[in-house]
Amino acid sequence: MTYNPDTQMVGEGVKFERIRRITGYLVGTVDRFNDGKRAEERDRVKHDPTKC
Amino acid sequence: MLTSIIKRDGRVVIYDRNKIKMAILKAMEASGSTDFEKADLVTQAVEQHFNMQNSYATPSVEEIQDQVEHELMASGLDNVAKRYILYRASRNTIRERKSKLVKVFDEITFSDALDSDVKRENANIDGDTPMGTMLKYGSESAKDYFLKFLLSPDQAEAHRDGYIHIHDFDFYALTMTCCQIDLIKLFKGGFSTGHGFLREPNDIQSYSALACIAIQSNQNDQHGGQSIVNFDYGLADGVRKTYKKLYLKNIAKVCDVLGENVSYEQLKEMSAAITERCGAMPKITPDKTYVALELEELKKLCKDPAVAEKAQKFALEKTEDETDKATYQAMEAFIHNLNTMHSRAGAQTPFSSINYGMDTSDEGRMVMKNVLLATDAGLGHGETPIFPIQIFRVKEGINYNPGERNYDLFQLAIKVSAKRLFPNFSFQDAPYNLKYYNPDDVRTEIGYMGCRTRVVANTYDPNNEITYGRGNLSFTSINLPRLAIEAKGDEDLFYRNLKKYLDLCVKQLMDRFAIQKKKRVRNFPFLMGQGVWIDSEKLGIDDEVGEVIKHGTLSVGFIGLAETLTALYGKHHGESEEAQKKGLEIIGFMRRILDEYSDRFKLNFSLLATPAEGLSGRFVRIDKKRFGEIKGVTDKEYYTNSFHIPVSFEISAYDKINLEAPYHALTNAGHITYVEMDGDVSQNLEAFEAVVRCMKEAGIGYGAINHPVDRDPVCGYNGIIGDVCPRCGRRDGEGVPLEKLHRLGLYKHLNAATLGQCGNQFEEADRIPNKI
Ligand SMILES: [Zn+2]
Ligand SMILES: [Zn+2]
Repeated sequence: MTYNPDTQMVGEGVKFERIRRITGYLVGTVDRFNDGKRAEERDRVKHDPTKC
Repeated sequence: MLTSIIKRDGRVVIYDRNKIKMAILKAMEASGSTDFEKADLVTQAVEQHFNMQNSYATPSVEEIQDQVEHELMASGLDNVAKRYILYRASRNTIRERKSKLVKVFDEITFSDALDSDVKRENANIDGDTPMGTMLKYGSESAKDYFLKFLLSPDQAEAHRDGYIHIHDFDFYALTMTCCQIDLIKLFKGGFSTGHGFLREPNDIQSYSALACIAIQSNQNDQHGGQSIVNFDYGLADGVRKTYKKLYLKNIAKVCDVLGENVSYEQLKEMSAAITERCGAMPKITPDKTYVALELEELKKLCKDPAVAEKAQKFALEKTEDETDKATYQAMEAFIHNLNTMHSRAGAQTPFSSINYGMDTSDEGRMVMKNVLLATDAGLGHGETPIFPIQIFRVKEGINYNPGERNYDLFQLAIKVSAKRLFPNFSFQDAPYNLKYYNPDDVRTEIGYMGCRTRVVANTYDPNNEITYGRGNLSFTSINLPRLAIEAKGDEDLFYRNLKKYLDLCVKQLMDRFAIQKKKRVRNFPFLMGQGVWIDSEKLGIDDEVGEVIKHGTLSVGFIGLAETLTALYGKHHGESEEAQKKGLEIIGFMRRILDEYSDRFKLNFSLLATPAEGLSGRFVRIDKKRFGEIKGVTDKEYYTNSFHIPVSFEISAYDKINLEAPYHALTNAGHITYVEMDGDVSQNLEAFEAVVRCMKEAGIGYGAINHPVDRDPVCGYNGIIGDVCPRCGRRDGEGVPLEKLHRLGLYKHLNAATLGQCGNQFEEADRIPNKI
């Protein structure tokens, strides 16, 4: 973990992990994916479950 | 007649005599020669040569240039010939430098994975490591070679132009996709990994370790993901062995404490002798006959019969709990190993999946409960495990309804999936899965793998319609939207072309199969050498695998049904009932053609709802270039996955499930339906369960629910994080004052001095993951 002794701050530059399912597999970040897959993940809308 | 020539990339083009003449003129100019009229004569001589050959073979560019050189020298134009040769060589270098392969190599060599689509093609390989980069060079060279020399010209053209996509093309001539590994068969009598022999495991720890090794070993023999078909039944034997061991050790312990001289070894012999007599052994639900016989024998071994009674009572009371703890640890280790192990030259964590859900034995249930609990707890710092994909088999009468034996595990699976995204759910009762199911043969339970592959029907051998020991050989997908765009609303033309490309794919799969068939058992030391693949145990090390791999499937996939329907009929299947009808007709047509091929060749051709993979961007990129931006068709950066309703289309979960379910019945090579849920679903398990039950009732074969799962590595918070972490209050990339983390009870033992500029290896041990 990063620590900056000048400001006494922990974690500068550390990103949140956002686990997503891309083509069936879980990933911690979408950065490593090609553009088509990233765009697909970005476009997803939620499905209302109330009728189920 | 010289009418056409073959270009360097394999394409056949119309012969153009001007090109030869121009090249000769250039060489003349460069050499200072002025015999320009001879350029025509030399060109004629070259043409004459090829016409005289009286052969129908089309010459290549290289052959023509060789002949030009020959004719220049024969005409006494030695200096011109020299120039021509130099010119030719320099053109070749330029061409080399410009060739696609070299450009790709430049990209691999000089760009960062973050900027390079080539490097990110397989997200599971770290394209920035030396091993990952080496794999990339190999993979790109192999593709280049296979495209130029192994595909027929029409296949190469279709693949290159994006009408079809041959998956795992870099492995074209090497191996098959995947196999459902049966652990019971594999572990029996021990097995060899290709790097050494492993004895039959004898407790749950070694069962779990060997299950990992099995996945890793098979990863080296096949190019697809690895799957265990019977994780419950397969590891239950390990629990049985651990129980027995701990049980006898508990008896020995009490005897020892109470002054009896009875060793563990003696007890093992005693127990084995009783098992010989009555067929039972110590187990979680005790066998009454065994217990009675054992007490008799124990009393003989002990001086004081009261000690015998106490020892047995203690063992009967304590052992289940201890076995449960040992099983949890084994499952924790299994998941941890699968998330850290490396394979394939160290660059790729194996894609792994495990199927379970229907084993009703105490021991199988203990395995499932603990693999779910270990998944719930997460990795070392509470991270969500990325591997394995877990697939929970849902079956009425076993786990679907209250009161059924494994109903508690179904409920636990829902709770864990609502937090960790796994397990996914497979549905044994879907009619097309149920029809193969025989309650007396666990090998007929449905199995899925990787992101969706499914193998069960068997046209080659109808007596083996099972999931165990079988898998996919290879698959190729069709760019459906392209065929729809080119049809320009002409339905007949669309179907004619669809038939044409189905035929082409089948031919290509057969060509690839012909290469795969010639491989020998020794090419697959684990998969075939250890009898993992069905019937391979009957083969010798030098035998060809041709016959046994006929149990596998040859699959044709498709992408972008939604865009296809929009291009042909103006609306996709989420928007119009008519379009849904048309969609089912198209996919039904594809299935029918493949069924006919299966019957004709007695092979297993099947239809796959392709999981997009590297394809998602490639097809649409080419099509946008060709046809421009067509609304609802080429206006996104990807084509919609298989038969899915477009991800950006507003629709209820119920409607999506019911529209997609009929396609599951048609796509016998594999399918999956996703539902996206909002918010923290772990706080709304009823809604989550309702969606799973809705899938089951609709006839979905395999489904999963997506929902946001975030984690802050700084404070360890797991859940949904908007812009600000609910626990420590930081924004993405921001720091948190150490003093604030102390107030939250985190990093307790750390201060500015111990934390240090670069961090400290102990700091993370302090973090407390938030409560479930
Ligand atoms: Zn597979
Ligand atoms: Zn936080």
